[in-house]
Amino acid sequence: MLTKAANCRERYKKMEIVRFNEVSKIYKSGDHVLRALDRVSFTLDEGRFVVILGPSGAGKSTLLNLLGGLDSPDEGTITVGGKDISKLSDNELADYRASTVGFVFQFYNLIPTLTAYENVKLVSDISPYALDAKDIIAKIGLSDHLDHFPSELSGGEQQRISIARALAKNPKILLCDEPTGALDSETGVMVLKLLLGMAKDLGKTIVVVTHNQNIAKMADVVIRVKNGRIRSVDEQAEPLSAEEVEW
Amino acid sequence: MLFRKLLRTALSYKAQFISMLIMITLGVGIFLGFNMEWRTIEVDTSKFFGDTHYADFRLYSPDGFTSEELAAVASINGVDAATRFLSVNLDVENAQNKALAVDVSEDFNVSTFVLMSGEEYDPEGEGIWLSDKYAAANGISLGDTIGLSFQNITVEGEVVGLIKSGEHMICVADSNQVMPDYSAFGYAYISPAKLRGVLEKKILKAMEDELTAAGMGETDAADAAKSMLTGEMTSAAEDRVFCQINLLSGMEKTKLEEAVKKALGKTIMVTSKDDHVVYKEAMGEADEGRTMGSVLPVLFLAIGVLTMVTTMHRIAAREKQQIGTLKALGFKNRRILLHYTSYGLVIGLIGTALGVGLGYLVCGLIMSENGMMGTYFDMPDWSAAVPGFCYPILIGTVALLTLISFLSVRRQLRGCAADTLRPYTPKKMRKSIFERLRFFDKMNFGTKWNLRDLSRHKSRLAMTLIGISGCMILLVGGLGMRDTMAGFLDLLNNDISAYATKVNIGEGADSEKAKALAQELGGDWESVSGISLGGDTVMLDIIHNDNGLYNVVDEANRRITLSDEGVYLCLRLKDRANIGDTVEFSPYGSEATYSAKVVGYNRSVMTESVTMTDALADRLGIEYSPTAVYTNVKSADVAKSDMITGRQDQAQLMESFNSFVSIMDSMVLILVIAAVILGVVVLYNLGIMSYVERYRELATLKVLGFRDRAIGRLLISQNIWLTVIGVIIGLPAGAAVLKWLLTALASEYELKLMLGPLTYIVSVLLTFGTSLLVGLLVARKNKKIDMVEALKAAE
Repeated sequence: MLTKAANCRERYKKMEIVRFNEVSKIYKSGDHVLRALDRVSFTLDEGRFVVILGPSGAGKSTLLNLLGGLDSPDEGTITVGGKDISKLSDNELADYRASTVGFVFQFYNLIPTLTAYENVKLVSDISPYALDAKDIIAKIGLSDHLDHFPSELSGGEQQRISIARALAKNPKILLCDEPTGALDSETGVMVLKLLLGMAKDLGKTIVVVTHNQNIAKMADVVIRVKNGRIRSVDEQAEPLSAEEVEW
Repeated sequence: MLFRKLLRTALSYKAQFISMLIMITLGVGIFLGFNMEWRTIEVDTSKFFGDTHYADFRLYSPDGFTSEELAAVASINGVDAATRFLSVNLDVENAQNKALAVDVSEDFNVSTFVLMSGEEYDPEGEGIWLSDKYAAANGISLGDTIGLSFQNITVEGEVVGLIKSGEHMICVADSNQVMPDYSAFGYAYISPAKLRGVLEKKILKAMEDELTAAGMGETDAADAAKSMLTGEMTSAAEDRVFCQINLLSGMEKTKLEEAVKKALGKTIMVTSKDDHVVYKEAMGEADEGRTMGSVLPVLFLAIGVLTMVTTMHRIAAREKQQIGTLKALGFKNRRILLHYTSYGLVIGLIGTALGVGLGYLVCGLIMSENGMMGTYFDMPDWSAAVPGFCYPILIGTVALLTLISFLSVRRQLRGCAADTLRPYTPKKMRKSIFERLRFFDKMNFGTKWNLRDLSRHKSRLAMTLIGISGCMILLVGGLGMRDTMAGFLDLLNNDISAYATKVNIGEGADSEKAKALAQELGGDWESVSGISLGGDTVMLDIIHNDNGLYNVVDEANRRITLSDEGVYLCLRLKDRANIGDTVEFSPYGSEATYSAKVVGYNRSVMTESVTMTDALADRLGIEYSPTAVYTNVKSADVAKSDMITGRQDQAQLMESFNSFVSIMDSMVLILVIAAVILGVVVLYNLGIMSYVERYRELATLKVLGFRDRAIGRLLISQNIWLTVIGVIIGLPAGAAVLKWLLTALASEYELKLMLGPLTYIVSVLLTFGTSLLVGLLVARKNKKIDMVEALKAAE
């Protein structure tokens, strides 16, 4: 699996998929102005596993939200797959989210009134490139839980369904916000392994936002953020596997 | 500090708080308003009847009552006061189709009036005390002179007083007129002395005519007549015209009947005030109001309370973490309970206070001089009376609302502070009943999502259905009532009445002459008189309708060709006898008892009646005299005659119904507005609740790439489904409520339930429109969903 993943990385590594150019996000509250992101610039290559590290309030979630099309920058441009997404309308952003990015959240955000299968199948209504929901669920090993509602699943199972839902859209980029934040370490490892394995199998770019230094050891690229600015962008030639990381 | 929190919480839940306030205000307002209406009718009319010494009983004799007979009646133990009374409809001279009921009360302690302006009543006075409303409608002022036509002589007098009388509180010419029309018909009082003068004039004229016919010159005849006139002659004429004794007495009717029979040595028709059109109609209105007050307002109040239950529960659930924080900070449960319970108390107090204001407004809209009843009742004083039972209900409502808050919060306070601090967790998802449907799996995700959401939030579902059905019930009920009334008027206007003019014949007119008049006018005729049927006073309607100008209809509103083989009972008397049974009745003023076979039932327009043909009446030997002729001759072309006491155009009669219809329209408008407000408030409140509860799910959909419009469709589609179900429930329920109301009002009217296609269409469209409008208002909010914020927190 790892060899296969390495090959993938090699194959895609020089194809740029994301470009942040002097991007700023400013929040105003009365006289107080907060620059959540301050003239941030970086690029990401396709097929890489990128970890964005930083303490609380550093701006890493803002960065992820901008990249995910949940929010728009106040300054600068964001280009994804050669397309500028920084000035898109609400509907264009919705289409972008439907076709280009998949989200995995800390608290899963599954629809409680839909079963596991239906939660994954849901995206086929909106994504033009959707994969077969049952296949994806089979790949995450939850074929026995198709008819279970989220409240009938454990945290780890819910997060796996959430990953399946994100991948079912067949997006170019998988965005994960603290994906193991609500899980115990054992389940966290299992989820990360699955996330990486599947994303790499399908050739996806993965961007994980976390404050967990250990996850960063698995990344191809680690972007450190502090006070709304990029402190460093480090390439890791020999990332560790999930099992190799000490939790 | 907690008070500040209360205000800010109210602000943050402003949609919910406003909804609860509106619903409580509406509930209390409509409940109080409708109940105040009938109570006010009771209180105000009782006072007016008391002030004008409205007669408790009326004794009728077609041959009139002598002074001795009056004295005999007055001396009956239990009779407080009695008077000979005359009320006769006279045409106003030099005016087309205007008439006055002219009253004379010998003893002004019974059946009197209250003076609004002008001179006090004088039993020797020569003036006329005129209805102030008639005077206003016809531009007549104090000091003006009016002339009235009485059997070919003119009764003239100066208007010396403007008055209101309890005897004419509902001023209608006869039972065919439902609403007063003061421009055409009013009433006036003259003194017994003036009546005596009129009678002297009439006697003199009769003698002059006789002497002139015998060949005497006009001047000589006049002088001779004057010299021949005696007091006895005038007294005898008085004895003949006073066909009525009105009396004040607290006796039972049957006992009074016996006592009168004993005192006068003959059976006299005695009617209690319950049978008199004014009292009967006034009490009928009060009963009608009480019936209405027991259905629709209760529906509003119940929906108001239910809204409070659902909303307070949701607010308490959403406040759970704050409750936990207060608990963790060291606030005692009692203090927290007190704080949150005060929400219910405050809403209850403000809502009830506003509701009381609305109640007075609603009551004022109906029961005031310028309100709907102002055109029906003519009274000097209009107040606003609250039925006693409303006070405990209002206090109980505030207490109930406070209790609802208390119970909602107490549920969240259970367990330790750590338990309370945990966010409110909605019920776990289980497979719903819908999933047993074979095609469930084939449904799209939006349908499944909505179905499961509904099965998960049953109270919200129930409340939404109650709101939509309630809206439909009010619309169908209100508009259906209008249809029913319009159908009734149509029946009256086209099927029953095909004549142009109704000619009223005076009491005591010669039967043969009256029939000859009918023949001359090419008309139908009827004779209406009082009979006793099993102890109750009902009308005997003897009809001769060969010309098809005045018709009788059956229960299905089809014209009946009257059979000579038996009598027809009106629908209100239907339970008295089956077809084929024999009924016995006895006309008042006669010892005779007659029996006849029941051959059918008919829909009576106004009075409770037994109907038969003149042929049957003749065969049974009943004595009668026509009381009205129905003809196609225009009223102006009907020649003057001693017998004729009035003429009414059919168009004019129908005109009087128009004001009745306009009252009905106002009531319907109130109901329609109330229905739409009810629909908007309930649906908006629930829509917002649904939106808030599904906020996180909606945000997830948005993140996944669903467009705002697609999410809006999801929200609206749920509304549409529920509206369809609500309409399906509401339509028959509305018709059932209306049918029940008509049954409850059956003692007053014989209305046939009618629901026009337009009522269905308008009700459905308005309900759908309301639902769609609210759905769009709520769906619009999804544009403002903050995806980032919504997805941060744990489920």
